[in-house]
Amino acid sequence: MATQQGSASAAALANQDIHQDTTVKWFLLGAVGYFAIVGIIALIIAAKFVWPQFLGTIPYFTYGRMRPLHVNGMLFGWLLAADMGLAYYFVPRLCGVKLWSEKLGVATSILWNIIIISAIFTLLGGYQKGFEYADLPTPVAVLVVIAWVMFGFNIFATILTRKYNQMYVSTWYLMGTILWTAFVYLTGNFATLLPGITGVNQANLNWMYTHNAVGLIFTPAGLAVAYYFIPRASNSPLYSHKLSMIGFWSLAFVYVWTGAHHMLHGPISQWLQTISIVFSVMLLIPVWAVVYNFIATMKGQWHQLGDNVSLKFLMSGTIFYLLTCFQGPMHSLRSVNAIVSKTDWIPGHAHMAVLGTFSFLAMAGVYYVIPRIFKTTLHSESLANWSFWLFLIGGLGMFTALWLGGFWQGWQWNNPSIPFIDTVVALQPVWMVRFLSGIIIFLGIVLFMFNIVSTAISGGRNASEATARS
Amino acid sequence: MLGKTDKNASWFVVAALGLFFIGGLLTTVAPPLLDKSWSKPFENHDPAKGPTGKLVAYTDQEMRGYRIYIREGCKYCHTQQTRTLLSDTKRSGWKGVDSPVSTPDEFVYDWRQTFGTKRTGPDLSRIGGKYNKQWHKAHFNNPRDLVPGSIMPPFPWIANNPQELDDLVAYLQTRGRAKDWRPDNDYEQ
Ligand code: HEC
Ligand code: HEM
Repeated sequence: MATQQGSASAAALANQDIHQDTTVKWFLLGAVGYFAIVGIIALIIAAKFVWPQFLGTIPYFTYGRMRPLHVNGMLFGWLLAADMGLAYYFVPRLCGVKLWSEKLGVATSILWNIIIISAIFTLLGGYQKGFEYADLPTPVAVLVVIAWVMFGFNIFATILTRKYNQMYVSTWYLMGTILWTAFVYLTGNFATLLPGITGVNQANLNWMYTHNAVGLIFTPAGLAVAYYFIPRASNSPLYSHKLSMIGFWSLAFVYVWTGAHHMLHGPISQWLQTISIVFSVMLLIPVWAVVYNFIATMKGQWHQLGDNVSLKFLMSGTIFYLLTCFQGPMHSLRSVNAIVSKTDWIPGHAHMAVLGTFSFLAMAGVYYVIPRIFKTTLHSESLANWSFWLFLIGGLGMFTALWLGGFWQGWQWNNPSIPFIDTVVALQPVWMVRFLSGIIIFLGIVLFMFNIVSTAISGGRNASEATARS
Repeated sequence: MLGKTDKNASWFVVAALGLFFIGGLLTTVAPPLLDKSWSKPFENHDPAKGPTGKLVAYTDQEMRGYRIYIREGCKYCHTQQTRTLLSDTKRSGWKGVDSPVSTPDEFVYDWRQTFGTKRTGPDLSRIGGKYNKQWHKAHFNNPRDLVPGSIMPPFPWIANNPQELDDLVAYLQTRGRAKDWRPDNDYEQ
């Protein structure tokens, strides 16, 4: 382990001159900060299920305004910002050149902060646009588009100036993310507002966006991160280039067809529901190709998991990815959907994706990158290890409670002789477990943030001492 | 062809967007062209073909209520769709009458879709006429006064604002009323 760390930091030293990494620092520190702030919002909404009067009489803190803030804050303030920060780190390294413009990168980060802060005020103020995951009011959504163009421009310009002709898998996934996100985001936030787009038609566009926000934004961004950091963190080459191509191109084709599986049995054309089910099942192909590739890369390297926190996050993220994407096709089947749809099973599934899979992958990247860009060592390996176990235990507690609870809830709903309110009261223990698991996860977030910020501060101190000496 | 995308960014962009747009266009632009019920308001006068009735556009007051429904995020706890499941038609029903399933033509004037994804509270697709304004006022003020064990948030700022209360209740009373599904026509005001 020590030697491996040594060689990794030697490599980092060799790169030192060309990579400035200012943008990476801005994005990652901002993301970690929002993770903690929005973590508090998460606890509040989880508490409201158990104590519905809690903060209840203040309009700004009512559940229906805080939930979209939680969702958008986590997805855009933490997860996407972290993935973008990591992209600013690995794209220049994979291309063998400097980031095209650090100035543009820092400007993008400033704009991103403006977006998240406006999101907090507008959503709590009740200005939500009314589309799930696209709740940001239109002026803020316009800023997101501008920031995305700035990000995409910087990354593509870096790729076009690359020294190595062959592009690595992470580069494809990231380019895919940038291109698809542009269209997916425009569909969900702007096409839905066009005159004449109402009712089911609007819902269909909304679902195209919401589903692909996960499938064509967070999935490729997260996989780009994993494809880069699994071989790095374990010091072993990627198992198969061919398999990664199969995984990538099948994802590019299959994902976008599945939006209507959110309205199974609902008022939307039956044939569209059937198409979405068929393609949902086909999603197993890209998922298994990716997961097999990751697991095979680790062959003979599993012993490293013991003392390598990044790898722990990467590998448990991989397992959660496999499970999430097994659940997804299964509950797209009409018979299973009739039980679990609209229940607490769904947030159980959603959190395994965005928390268990993609946040784990992003945290692995942050733990790996922060010491390297601040040219120091991680403040505390043992705290990092603690944060991993808190996330894992809290996460598993939350997921299993919601799956079991959701399944049971759906079972009760299918028996109309049980009054609805009884099915609410019956879920109280489940929501209590979710709240307690949430506290454990939140402690994990706090340790993570503390460790990252301390590392950055000590790195900054080293740097200023070095300049003082010279 | 895909082999080239490895070394050539332009090839990559074309392939990635091309594959995406096949599914993208076929699942978003094509369906409303193929299925006219997405854009034709519900209207039926023949009892043999199912529930009769006619979908009418929202009044100004109902629109104001609609905006309040969006502003307070009611749709994050309530769905508005009676699905093609027996239990849904029973649960959306009232006084022993099963509700008809929701069809796309009932939502043609919906300015923000409110189908929802999570039933923390019951479905509201047939709430129109189920309760009167007094009930809603008391319920918004504190749901637990009427339904012990409820986890719906209190909305005193709506209950105690006569204008907002009237608007929101007016909106709620429209839900599901395009279809005249209650034989006794016993809808509350
Ligand atoms: C935190 C979730 C939550 C939010 C947000 C919420 N509700 Fe509810 N709602 C419930 C629950 C749970 C019930 C069932 C218990 C009860 O009747 O209070 C319910 C019941 C209802 C009922 C009675 C349904 C019936 O068939 O008896 C109506 C009407 C209603 N809500 C309207 C609203 C409106 C309007 C809003 C937004 C201003 C809203 N709700 C926001 C959870 C919520
Ligand atoms: C402290 C840990 C967390 C807690 C306690 C928590 C709690 C909640 C709650 C109570 C809901 C509403 C569920 C419902 O409608 O019934 C929710 C939804 C959601 N949360 Fe979290 N959350 C946590 C972490 C996260 C993280 C880290 C992310 C993303 C990175 C996230 C993303 C989401 C999303 C996308 C939804 C919407 C789910 C859906 O569409 O069904 N959450 N969360």
